[in-house]
Amino acid sequence: MTSAQVFLALIAALFLAPLAVGVLTGVDRRITARMQSRLGPPILQPFYDIGKLLGKEPMLANHWLAFCSFLYLAGAVTSVVLFFLQADLLLIFFVQAVGSVFLVIGALTVPSPYSQIGAHRELLQIIAYEPLLILVIVGIFLATGSFKIEAVYAMEQPLLFKLPLLFLVLGIALTIKLRKSPFDISASHHAHQEIVRGVYTEYSGPYLAIVEIAHWFEIVLILCLLSLFWSTGVVGLVLLLGITYFVEILVDNTTSRMTWRWMLGTAWITGITFSLINLLWLYYG
Amino acid sequence: MPDTLLFILVVVPFIAALGLYALRIESLRMVLVLATAVLLTGSSLALFSHETVAFSTTLLGVNPQPLIVLLDFVVLFIILAVGLSAKHRLIIYLAGAQIVLLAIFKLVSPAEATGQAMFLVDPLAKLMVFVVSVVGSVIILHALPYMKNHEEHLHLTTSRQPQFFAVMVLFLGAMNGLVLTNDLGNFYFFFEVTTLCSFLLIRHDLTDEAKANSLRALWINSLGGLALLIGLLWISLDLGTVNIQQILAQTPEAAFLLLPIGLLCFAGLTKAAQLPFQSWLLGAMVAPTPTSALLHSATMVKAGVYLFLRFSPAYSGTFFSTTVAFVGGFTFLAAAALAISQSNGKKILAYSTVSNLGLIIACAGIGTPAAIAAGMFLIMFHAVSKALIFLCVGTIEQRIASRDIEDMRGLYAIMPVTAIITVLGALTMILPPFGMLLGKWMAIEASAHNILLVIILALGSAITVLYWARWAGLLMSYPFKGRIYPESQPALTRLPLLGLIGGALLLSFYAPAIYNSLIYPAISALPLAMVDTVPATSWGILVLDRGSFPVIPLFLVAALGLFAAIYFYKLAGKVKPTGPYLSGAQTPDDASAYAGPLRQSIIPSSSNYYLEKIFGEVAINRWVNTAAIVLILLMLGGGL
Repeated sequence: MTSAQVFLALIAALFLAPLAVGVLTGVDRRITARMQSRLGPPILQPFYDIGKLLGKEPMLANHWLAFCSFLYLAGAVTSVVLFFLQADLLLIFFVQAVGSVFLVIGALTVPSPYSQIGAHRELLQIIAYEPLLILVIVGIFLATGSFKIEAVYAMEQPLLFKLPLLFLVLGIALTIKLRKSPFDISASHHAHQEIVRGVYTEYSGPYLAIVEIAHWFEIVLILCLLSLFWSTGVVGLVLLLGITYFVEILVDNTTSRMTWRWMLGTAWITGITFSLINLLWLYYG
Repeated sequence: MPDTLLFILVVVPFIAALGLYALRIESLRMVLVLATAVLLTGSSLALFSHETVAFSTTLLGVNPQPLIVLLDFVVLFIILAVGLSAKHRLIIYLAGAQIVLLAIFKLVSPAEATGQAMFLVDPLAKLMVFVVSVVGSVIILHALPYMKNHEEHLHLTTSRQPQFFAVMVLFLGAMNGLVLTNDLGNFYFFFEVTTLCSFLLIRHDLTDEAKANSLRALWINSLGGLALLIGLLWISLDLGTVNIQQILAQTPEAAFLLLPIGLLCFAGLTKAAQLPFQSWLLGAMVAPTPTSALLHSATMVKAGVYLFLRFSPAYSGTFFSTTVAFVGGFTFLAAAALAISQSNGKKILAYSTVSNLGLIIACAGIGTPAAIAAGMFLIMFHAVSKALIFLCVGTIEQRIASRDIEDMRGLYAIMPVTAIITVLGALTMILPPFGMLLGKWMAIEASAHNILLVIILALGSAITVLYWARWAGLLMSYPFKGRIYPESQPALTRLPLLGLIGGALLLSFYAPAIYNSLIYPAISALPLAMVDTVPATSWGILVLDRGSFPVIPLFLVAALGLFAAIYFYKLAGKVKPTGPYLSGAQTPDDASAYAGPLRQSIIPSSSNYYLEKIFGEVAINRWVNTAAIVLILLMLGGGL
């Protein structure tokens, strides 16, 4: 990469991508509202929310919450930047784990039952999706011969044709990571499912804003991973992302939250079986 | 010069042990322990200045071989005597069989094996000596104030510290000998000495539980010793040599030798407490914490994985090698799962050790240069981080009188310095840019062609994050009530902790340099059958043929993030604290309590998820042990 490209990649990673995801979550809320026969908020509502949260008076039950919220953001931003710099996929995955771990540690620092249980559920979500993400990355390695992102862009055929089942596996991981039903175990967006917001309970005001922004970066990363499955053309890529995200919203609104046992069982059994079959295709294909 | 260093590293601890046992004065003991620690640390570092592989036939002009033979029998007869006095049939049979076999071995062993190329200083040995001598010394220093407290707590009339420190120091000497020797016969001797030392250390407190657990450790490790001895006898009869380098040079052609190599690996599995032999290491936690720290990090279990790495060229590229990878990988996953269900801090650490050693053995089994490099990284970083966390748990235990992690909730409010060091130690086990994760990353990338193995490693890696993150968060879990002041500790308690956490961070930062100067020469010298590009470094970035890990750039980003987070933490310090969210039912005077029925003030409590029905010992022990036995049989059969 030339230095101009690096500069552009940094701009895209740090500003454009999270802004786009902000708009996307706005659209998400609108579509969700329509599915629930509501009008829904304006498209830019997520930005108004962040603005309002940032203006609130800071209140903390434990000062380490501030520390952890920033490291959550740092981990998420670093992983996105590494993706735009086309680094090693497995490394990117481990760097995003830093963010998730600090989100949990922050929630654990406050001895409130809501926050504690939310944190433990978040940990269960992590062990549900992490193996799946690693296996998707291994699948990409077996298809391209490298863990580097540039090897994906060197492919002539979209990865989707080689990794159809792993795409579904990534879908499971995506649903967990986006906190969508039926996997919204640790924190739900839906008022009818949750009174207090699980792992987010103790993050408030400006610190909640930081956590929300960090979550946008996480969504950026997951969408980037999805985009690798159609790396050959912009139209196909946008279509793939659009359809996948719409299906996520549909699933979110037609299912209800399940127990963590069900999540762990489904994610591991379905996810690993699909991965195994797809990896075997790649290995012997 | 290497001669003198070898003497200091291997023989001086034996002499110091005699001194410590004989001199029963506390001040002299401190001086002697300090002197040994300084000598060992200095010599292990000085060893790095000797670039080339050095052979040594004698120690300071003396041939120690006859003495080693004598001591070998002494050790075995002591074990036999222990078995007889405890009426432990298994130990008696195992020790008896070893005595007979050793006598046969000494009668028939090839003459040229003695006195030639007794020691070998290669990069792998240097790495191991560094781990043993430096981490081991730090643990022994930390033990000085610890054991004093420990005995005050037990109200002993006569101090048993002379024995304790003598065995601890002896242990380091035996480990140094084990990793430096090039004679498989001597390897067996040092192997048995570590078995005996661990027995003595585990039974140190002389409680019924300690005695029972020490006997269990003794018989399991004697089983390994017997396997090692049979393998040794077999190899010496077949090849006519016990010179490890010559064995490694011949084995790729002599495929039928995989079975005796398999027996050596079996010994390694018992020593590294791999499933189904984990029970001795779990039982070892009855001993004082410095013992656990030493067994888990610098010595004992590391001897097991060292054996796998040392002999990796002998089985590289065979079906046997693949089965070794599965044996290790399975233990990595199963022990991590078992760790989830534990609330006893030392037990979590024990399972975590078993699990990480499994990963190292899996690396040896994968057998590519990158995988072996990952294994060596993991040995080093695991030793430092695990020693640190063990010493932290010991320090915490002496303060709060519990090793249950639920009792460590909110430790930050009582011991902020120790709590932060422990949290940092836990993070160095699981997060980038630290060395353990670097090793895990290399292991997963190297194993990506083996689909089943990589699935196992992916699951194990995620589960590992769960039990560490949970513990780290819990230490910081406290209701905010006023200012917190750093606790005061003796210098010999605080400094080892600071030294180890500093070491864990610095070694991680210098991982690329360590790779270049130590690990690269080691793996490029190995005659591995798995031909693959050897990883390289540039600008602090570790580059494999299939990926790259920018260690130093990531460290800089992490430092930046950390400084920002600390800045905002300080800023948040000015914010008025509130109570936790309790559905708005807080009592007016205590923000961490709520007004319950009859206006009673209730402080809510919650505890960790331990998922005992899924991952509990009762639920899965039988299954995982059976699976492990099947895998080991598959491994030994793979050697046929």
